[in-house]
Amino acid sequence: MLELVNLSKKFKHLYAVKNLNMFIEKGEIVGLLGPNGAGKSTAITMLSSLVEPTTGDVRFKNKSILKSPGPIRRVIGMVPQEIALYNDLSAEENLQFFGRIYRLKGNDLKQKIDEILELIGLADRRKDIVKKFSGGMKRRLNIGVALLHNPELIIMDEPTVGIDPQSRNYILETVKRLNEEKQMTVIYTSHYMEEVEFLCDRIYIMDQGNLIASGTKEEIKRILSAEKTIIVKADRLNNTFIDSLKQNPTINRVTVENKTVTIIVPKEINIFQTVLKLAEEAKLELNSVDIKTPTLEDVFLHLTGRALRD
Amino acid sequence: MIGILLAKIKIFIRYPLTFLAMVVMSIGFALIIGGGNGNVINVPVYVADDAIRGTVVEDILNESEAFKFNYMSKAEVKQQIANGKAETGVALYEGDFRVLVGVDSPNVNLVQQTVNGAYSKKLQYEQIYTAANATTNSDKEEVKKELEETIADPIFSIQSANFRGSDAVIINRKLHTIFGFTLFFVIYTIAYNVFHILEEKNNGVWDRIILSPARKWEMYVANFLYSFGTGYLQVLIIFLVFRYWVGVDFGSNFGVALLMLIPYVFAIVALSILITGIVKTVQQFNAVIPIIAVSMAMIGGAYWPLEIVSSKFMLALAKIVPITYGMEALNGVAIYGYSLNELLYPISILLLMGVVMTGVGIHLMEKRHV
Repeated sequence: MLELVNLSKKFKHLYAVKNLNMFIEKGEIVGLLGPNGAGKSTAITMLSSLVEPTTGDVRFKNKSILKSPGPIRRVIGMVPQEIALYNDLSAEENLQFFGRIYRLKGNDLKQKIDEILELIGLADRRKDIVKKFSGGMKRRLNIGVALLHNPELIIMDEPTVGIDPQSRNYILETVKRLNEEKQMTVIYTSHYMEEVEFLCDRIYIMDQGNLIASGTKEEIKRILSAEKTIIVKADRLNNTFIDSLKQNPTINRVTVENKTVTIIVPKEINIFQTVLKLAEEAKLELNSVDIKTPTLEDVFLHLTGRALRD
Repeated sequence: MIGILLAKIKIFIRYPLTFLAMVVMSIGFALIIGGGNGNVINVPVYVADDAIRGTVVEDILNESEAFKFNYMSKAEVKQQIANGKAETGVALYEGDFRVLVGVDSPNVNLVQQTVNGAYSKKLQYEQIYTAANATTNSDKEEVKKELEETIADPIFSIQSANFRGSDAVIINRKLHTIFGFTLFFVIYTIAYNVFHILEEKNNGVWDRIILSPARKWEMYVANFLYSFGTGYLQVLIIFLVFRYWVGVDFGSNFGVALLMLIPYVFAIVALSILITGIVKTVQQFNAVIPIIAVSMAMIGGAYWPLEIVSSKFMLALAKIVPITYGMEALNGVAIYGYSLNELLYPISILLLMGVVMTGVGIHLMEKRHV
């Protein structure tokens, strides 16, 4: 459906996006994951035809959108990171305005507005002025506007930034429903790995303008398949125990944070008994020892040496 | 385009405070600085001899446009002059008058000339009565009545006109202030309406509209029309208030003066588009607009007449400022009675500025987009 071929964008001397290759199939939810400044927003403004790439091409249904952006613009629903609404108009008036821009009129427009307000849970606040809305309500309306013209492809640029967990869940559930019930293709950018993990079929991970990993969730997590993570919790951690862990030749890495010790070891090593023995020697009472499944956060940490929200 | 325009009008009607503040400030400043009574100078007068009452002298003094002769007692006249409330006063006797001078200024001579003219007319009328009485034995009242009828409906109508040389300058402080502040304050109204384009670009509304079936020219035309409309509405209200409420005389071509505002408002919308194209952030826009508006008003003669500026450099700078041509067109219509040919020069410059600045501004704004 949509393909990005060697896409780059250079601002003065800095590459915001460098040689990005991506494809999106119809009906998929594709996640674009990366920390702030990774180039996610630049990538989606290029693929939505709003910004011209420095080099490379964006192909929609096998045709370049650079020469002819019309076809993609007709089927795209854009949810920008900013609240792209008229703050001085009500929710209904905003939907009326953007509906008219999309050539909706009369009863069609009215019905669509009712449907959208219902979908985003703002039917009872339709007459309220947007500037009086909470952050979560604004975000929901921001999404609603993008759905007015029944887009085939919806692009969401960090749609849950700065909102409460309740609104965030509502938005994630709505996106999932749109995909399942209306077979809407979704491109979802975020720096919250749990959102991407929850929503997306396939994931592209970006860092500093470069694509550093891509694939399904399982494929990406397999990057860490050679290692496993052990989480040890104790109320009174002591240096004897930490030092003995660090000196153990089978352990790859030891990190300590508050009352938690994270141990990374090769997958084939059974470290459980060793940890118990070292704790006993150090006269340490353990609260728990867990073997953790790797997350996308762990993958990102592994690939870049930094946390996603750094 | 209609949708964009309707949304903006809806917001304008819902939040008219900024617009109204600009209208009130324009009117307020023009009233305060221009002065409620314009250039009319107060001259206290006392009648020293009652025989002068009801004569043509009183009629002529009352009709004076340059001076307002206020009748009061001798003591009050002296007090006003002593307090500095009046530069000069007049004492009227049957056959002559006295000018009481507090401050020796050019106005003293003008007052003297005006009163002198009134007494000359009185003398002229008395000679007519005497001559008529000698030849026809007519009653004085009868002659006077016939004379008044003849003056009201003369056999010959004589018109006089002054030929204005190219260097002749007429400065009407009241009109200048009204024009200056109107043209100055409307810059803010227009700029902050065009500025919505920058806001919409920053918050993503502009991108949303670009992705919609709406054409780009529709977006620009809608914004242009809205900014032009609100700007023109502001200057129209101000001019109508001064013309019909305050009672300012805009000359015989008030309608033409209103038309002269069109090219000026057009040029200011274009200038705002150019600024919007150059600046990148809302903060930059907020910093730049007051600097440009105030400096343009100073250079272009909105605060003071350009005729009093002697610096060639400043006068050369004035040539590139839209306010200069707006003031020229309005003064030309209201004060100098310019012909259409004379008005074409400022109109053409304003239209040319408008077209060039709109073109460059839109080009700069478009550089970012495909």
